Amino acid sequence: MKKCLAILTVLLMVLGVTVIAGCGGGTQQGQEAQDVIKIGVILPLTGTEAMFGTMEKNSMEMAYEELKAAGKTTINGKEIKLIFEDDQSRQDAAKAAAEKLINQDKVVMLSGGYSSANTNVIAGTAQSKGIPFLIVTGSADKITKQGWQWVFRGAAAPSSKYTSALWDLFDKQIKPRNVAIIYENTDFGTSSAEAFRNDCKARGIKIVFDQSYEKGAIDFKPMLANMKKANPDVVFAVSYVMDASLIVKQMRELDFNPRLFVGGAAGYTMPEFLENAGSAAEYIASTTLWVPSVTWKGASDYFNKYKEKYGKEPDYHGAQAYATMYIIADALARAKDFTPAGIQKALKETDMMTIMGPIKFEDWEGYTNQDRPTTYVVQWQKGKLEVVWPEEAASGKLVFPVPKWNER
Amino acid sequence: MSLFLQTIICGILLGAMYALIAIGMTLIMGVMKIINLAHGALVMVGMYITYFCFKEWGIDPYLGMFISMPALFLIGCLIQKYLINRLVEVDSILPENQVLLTVGIMLVLTETMRLIFKSDYRSVVTSYSTKTFFLGDISISIPMTFGFLIAMILTWLLHLFLTRTDLGRSIRATAQDRDAAIYMGVNASRITVITFGIGSALAAAGGSLLLPLFYLWPDIGHLFTAKAFIITILGGMGSTMGAILGGLTLGIAESLGATYISMGYKDVVGLIIFLLVLLFLPGGFRSFTRR
Repeated sequence: MKKCLAILTVLLMVLGVTVIAGCGGGTQQGQEAQDVIKIGVILPLTGTEAMFGTMEKNSMEMAYEELKAAGKTTINGKEIKLIFEDDQSRQDAAKAAAEKLINQDKVVMLSGGYSSANTNVIAGTAQSKGIPFLIVTGSADKITKQGWQWVFRGAAAPSSKYTSALWDLFDKQIKPRNVAIIYENTDFGTSSAEAFRNDCKARGIKIVFDQSYEKGAIDFKPMLANMKKANPDVVFAVSYVMDASLIVKQMRELDFNPRLFVGGAAGYTMPEFLENAGSAAEYIASTTLWVPSVTWKGASDYFNKYKEKYGKEPDYHGAQAYATMYIIADALARAKDFTPAGIQKALKETDMMTIMGPIKFEDWEGYTNQDRPTTYVVQWQKGKLEVVWPEEAASGKLVFPVPKWNER
Repeated sequence: MSLFLQTIICGILLGAMYALIAIGMTLIMGVMKIINLAHGALVMVGMYITYFCFKEWGIDPYLGMFISMPALFLIGCLIQKYLINRLVEVDSILPENQVLLTVGIMLVLTETMRLIFKSDYRSVVTSYSTKTFFLGDISISIPMTFGFLIAMILTWLLHLFLTRTDLGRSIRATAQDRDAAIYMGVNASRITVITFGIGSALAAAGGSLLLPLFYLWPDIGHLFTAKAFIITILGGMGSTMGAILGGLTLGIAESLGATYISMGYKDVVGLIIFLLVLLFLPGGFRSFTRR
């Protein structure tokens, strides 16, 4: 009897909640539909990637406030409204969030996407539903290589292009004889490593060690000891932030001295990397898409403002989100009507400057709606990130070969 | 050869840390007969307490252990007394809803920490964090060795406690047969409260030992829950010795897998062993001693 009562109560409660929620949702939608333009933004706000998602959400909101102050968030009497959804750093949740935004909230455009795997899921949903999707970070090559007309990648580069500046540096200055590649076994890691491998083959550079790892490991020493035995000239590593710091720390513990260690963006440029790796971060180089000292207008302003507002230094991920918000506002201002098709057309015609550089959605080398990225090589020197390549943007000189651990 | 030795040593050092976390879980599982899915979250809370002590008052993580352990003991006792024991008493819709409750506790703990500390990665950098010594050309991390020793000492103390004291014997009695223990005058619900407290304190100890070499964010708990669960099954429920063997086995297997197969398949190696044990040795390593 007790059981029946309990079940009944639970059922009643569930029913009650849905009824109330249903009513609320109904009236809200009815009123708002006329005077707002709804944009859905899917970012990881909980789970393993929450730190990045939070930084990107903060950056987007900051850009939104700036645009609002300039009166650019209301277009023809309609206000842009951002609806943030959490993908919990999981693909199934990303899919659910995308469906919810499209079907329930009736957004006219999607943005966000941090990890490549989740971005790909959202892109697939957006493509099949015919909703424009502007990617913030997700960068596996395949996402914009599927001919998907509704998917746009502006502030983010395809992962194989992160290394453009690095290869320029390799060809002109370093000329490595052999390299080792380590990468996390995610979409981003695999895609970056694949491209790097092909670039090596094209130049006849020998790959002496090539291995993936599961992110979130405590002990990388078995892999690093193995790599030390292969004795590579240059190490190329694709890792998220804390894996990155553990890897360089444990490299020092093993007294493993490659002539240069280059990270493939992601983890190796973050403030947390320096904090956790400490002095082991010194002379670690990395490719990156953005540094606060780039010459694009507004870049250093963004950096300072973010630091002041949130008490933390942003890195290129935040800049991507900030630029994305500006791209959205720009496209909406030019859109003839606020239907998905109208916004898609406006996005396609984008030609603007952001803190990530010029943004244009073009079709090239098999990519669709992909901006041509500018990349940099940076190196940690005395606890600061210095741009070392390309030469015209350089703020410091590359230290190469780096001193051995016991000679520092 | 040196590569092999390096691998084995890394595995043993790491395995001992895993074991310490798993002992807490196995103890709770033995007495309560439930899987505590909040165990990893308890490790995480312990790590945050140690981290906070380090950041605010500059207390070394190894000393911070003496704050995080009592704190977690208290939290564990409260959870058991006011949440889990209440569910044991009532007639429930699902027989396994204590397990569901631990999932709820895990979520609450994780999100509370996110509220306080945000999702940022935190780490503690001490002067000895990356110190090593060399035996021949094998590098051995000093904080790892320290962690190993402390883990072993704590396990030994726990063993003494369980075998030599009245309270310890009551815990073992409750684990073996709850009803019989009650007939013998053991206050079983008090025993479960204490056991959960001890289990949580050991989880905190494991967290504090890992903090100087690892890092911290609110969702880190899943990693530990998964490892502790595998080890508990490997070692057999409720067995301290089994948990140590299980921890070392998992550590060494992961290291060997990482060196000789690929680090990308590190977890696969652990899980294959897990499956094999379930298939051919359902009682865990403990079944060897029982024969």
